[in-house]
Amino acid sequence: MESASLTQPKSAGIIVEDKGLKKNAISFVSNIVIGVASTAPAYSLAATLGYIALVGGLGVQSPAVILVCFFPMAAIAAAYYYMNRADPDCGTTFTWMTRAMGPWLGWQGGWAIVVADVLVMPSLASVAGVYTCSLVGINNPSNLAVTVIGIVWIVIMTVICYIGIEISARTQRLLLGMEFVTLVAFSVVALIKVYADHPAHSIEPTASWFNPFAVSSIGALNSGILLAVFIYWGWDSGVTVNEETEDSSTAPGRAAIVSTFVLVGIYLLVATAAQAYGGVASLAAHPNDVLAPLGNGVLGSPWNKILIIAVLSSASASTQTTILPTARTTLSMARMKAIPRQFGNIHPRFLSPSFSTIWMGVVSTLVYVLLSVTSPTNLIGDAFTSLALTIAFYYGFTGFACVIFYRRELLKSAKNFLYIGVLPMFGGLVLTWVLIKAVLVYSKPHAGFAKPFLGIGSPIAIALLMIVIGLVLMIVQRVTMPEYFRRKLEVVDPSVLADAPAGRTS
Amino acid sequence: MSSGIIVGYDGSDGGKAALRAAIELGRAYGEKVVIAFAYDLNPVAGELHDYHAALKELATKRLTEATTLAADADADADIEAVIVEQGPAAGLVALADERDARLIVVGNRGERWIKEVLLGSTPLKLLHLSDRPVLVVPWRPS
Repeated sequence: MESASLTQPKSAGIIVEDKGLKKNAISFVSNIVIGVASTAPAYSLAATLGYIALVGGLGVQSPAVILVCFFPMAAIAAAYYYMNRADPDCGTTFTWMTRAMGPWLGWQGGWAIVVADVLVMPSLASVAGVYTCSLVGINNPSNLAVTVIGIVWIVIMTVICYIGIEISARTQRLLLGMEFVTLVAFSVVALIKVYADHPAHSIEPTASWFNPFAVSSIGALNSGILLAVFIYWGWDSGVTVNEETEDSSTAPGRAAIVSTFVLVGIYLLVATAAQAYGGVASLAAHPNDVLAPLGNGVLGSPWNKILIIAVLSSASASTQTTILPTARTTLSMARMKAIPRQFGNIHPRFLSPSFSTIWMGVVSTLVYVLLSVTSPTNLIGDAFTSLALTIAFYYGFTGFACVIFYRRELLKSAKNFLYIGVLPMFGGLVLTWVLIKAVLVYSKPHAGFAKPFLGIGSPIAIALLMIVIGLVLMIVQRVTMPEYFRRKLEVVDPSVLADAPAGRTS
Repeated sequence: MSSGIIVGYDGSDGGKAALRAAIELGRAYGEKVVIAFAYDLNPVAGELHDYHAALKELATKRLTEATTLAADADADADIEAVIVEQGPAAGLVALADERDARLIVVGNRGERWIKEVLLGSTPLKLLHLSDRPVLVVPWRPS
């Protein structure tokens, strides 16, 4: 048989053939699961409800704020849907903003994603710390204990992402299912107890809880919305799961839209139940740790442990879906030559974006330690507040990027105009308005939980610091590697909309 | 009638040992040797495209290196290099099924040993998954 291969020259038999053997593409349901799980409902509620309840003048209207926030987020989901259709092959906000609005704004969009992910880590880690303590029965852990557990948490999660052990879509489905069952059980039991036993401080829900017009001041509504933006943050992960999905150009966007509906449902249910059971004061009393104390009362031992485990598993999913996309965003930026190329390194053994992952872990740990040492709960709360500014910025600008990118298609049909023009524009404008109002509110010296910094409120001080760092880094990058900054603006290829009618989003 | 030998290659010493064994077998039995580099893309956490492209580059580099090694071992070897986008064990089995291969060859120790300790090794998984003969080539650091 040697003769058969004798005729072949040394390299003629070598074809590096790309075999996409992955037949089991992600289903529509899995896509929703990924979107919802990336948002980490249990953790988002545990981290956010208390801070929303703390907003002065909001009173019992927390559910209304969550409901109001849903509309701009659903509108931005439309922007993600269409940008994903036009450019399903690439990263998200960073690439889209670069194409539609130019390299300078695009760079800031990418930076905003990184900043948001870094600023959420302290909150994530401290929630993990507090709930780990609750799990073993320690109810008022010291700041030191929480910080140490939090750091261990970040380190373990970074190592997991570095080694490349990732939660599979199937595991994600199972975990999310358990999380939902737990949250629904908690809510139902809480509501039953409210109506049947009338526990101390409990209040029966009324329709006005969901009425945004019942909020006493527009400033309170704003501050509330800004916090509530956070609980919807993460569903974009579902949209960016591109090529793996059956019908890759339409299904992911549709999944993002469905996942915002799923989220609003579970959030309203849990927020209502938690507030009905313990009253506003109980939510505001432990802003870092809302569900654990309530779980004690509602479910009792040992069932309350299930709620704690749900929050912890949700936080672990959330940590992974924070580190991984950040590493992938910086990898995207490095490959576009927007940041140093080391960020594009792939680990030869673990096949993970190693350099980006390590950086994310190290920077997160440093930020966490810094905030925790200087002012334990206050600065972490303020970082959390300023995080929402960043999210509002990059979601809002994704909305604008969509309108700009599609500008030549908008007037071609009424549906185009509504779904690609009006909705993303509406989402973008609302988020920008919230952002501006929030800057005005938070820049007042005593707007933050921590002491004012140079006369301005600490959430804005943190945001400003991040903007300044971003600008400096961008200018350094412009000087050292100017190539990326010479990119030209692009518009959508009209054929993107040709194969399927616009507007069939839901 | 089945034909061809699939060999999993990841650039590790174990992978190189497997490649050498596969080339020897290919020569002895007159079989084509298909060198495969497999990786999994996890959809969780989005932003896949550029990561995917980076992985593909790495895979191409590894396979180019493998084909050179193979050609050095046997200049007349009939070889083909394939990137498989699936976890190593399931990916090699799928490729073997698609090609109706006679044998799958892997090293006993890959590069990702920490992961293997935690999640089980590729050879072990292959032995469970494959309907075809699997050859595990031992390699020990000397």
